[in-house]
Amino acid sequence: MWKWIAIALVVLAAAVFTLLSFMAGSPKDAMQMVRYALPYMHRGNLHVGDTAPDVTLVALDGSSRFQLRRELRGRPLVLVFGSFT
Amino acid sequence: MKLYEDYKEHADFLTIYIREAHPIDEWRMKSNEKDKDDVCYVQPKTLEQRVAIANDFTKRFKFALPFGIDDMSNAANDAYAAWPERLYILDEMGRISYKGGNGPFKYDPKEVRAWLAQRFGEVKHGEPATTAALQRASL
Repeated sequence: MWKWIAIALVVLAAAVFTLLSFMAGSPKDAMQMVRYALPYMHRGNLHVGDTAPDVTLVALDGSSRFQLRRELRGRPLVLVFGSFT
Repeated sequence: MKLYEDYKEHADFLTIYIREAHPIDEWRMKSNEKDKDDVCYVQPKTLEQRVAIANDFTKRFKFALPFGIDDMSNAANDAYAAWPERLYILDEMGRISYKGGNGPFKYDPKEVRAWLAQRFGEVKHGEPATTAALQRASL
């Protein structure tokens, strides 16, 4: 019984890894995705209606800082999160 | 950029630069290496490195939106579950009115456009808002 469960789990893991490799482009890419992407990619705890958390941001000059909520000026505020790569 | 140009008279925008999604020392993307300007960076280990990449980005694209950089504690990224990319709309009171999905597959500026169009009216030269997007946008 346990032997068949173990075999099934191995087959399932292989199938998942094959699928990830296909999605990512190669087995190496799949490994990198699992290691570097999955830990950071999550839904978070914020929901519509929640008060937006305030955080400190750095300006492009690299030295001055400002609060995210300081950007609220009586109008809707669109936040665009992202990076270069 | 088009969305910003279309609605900047009605809403404020803020771009927040967070940790790199595909640096060459982590999950690198071949497409970045093929880019004509070679978008290849290592994951910044210092704030100075992060600021330098953010400045490269804004200069290369002549990026007009107001810009902030997450510091090395990744506080903004953690608070907003932002990585690798995500869109939000905050209302006038600072409450979350729209929370987009994780990029790249669920990152959808059309939903933001739909939210803004419903609130302020459609802008003719922009992309039209779809019914599905309107339904998904949290209004």
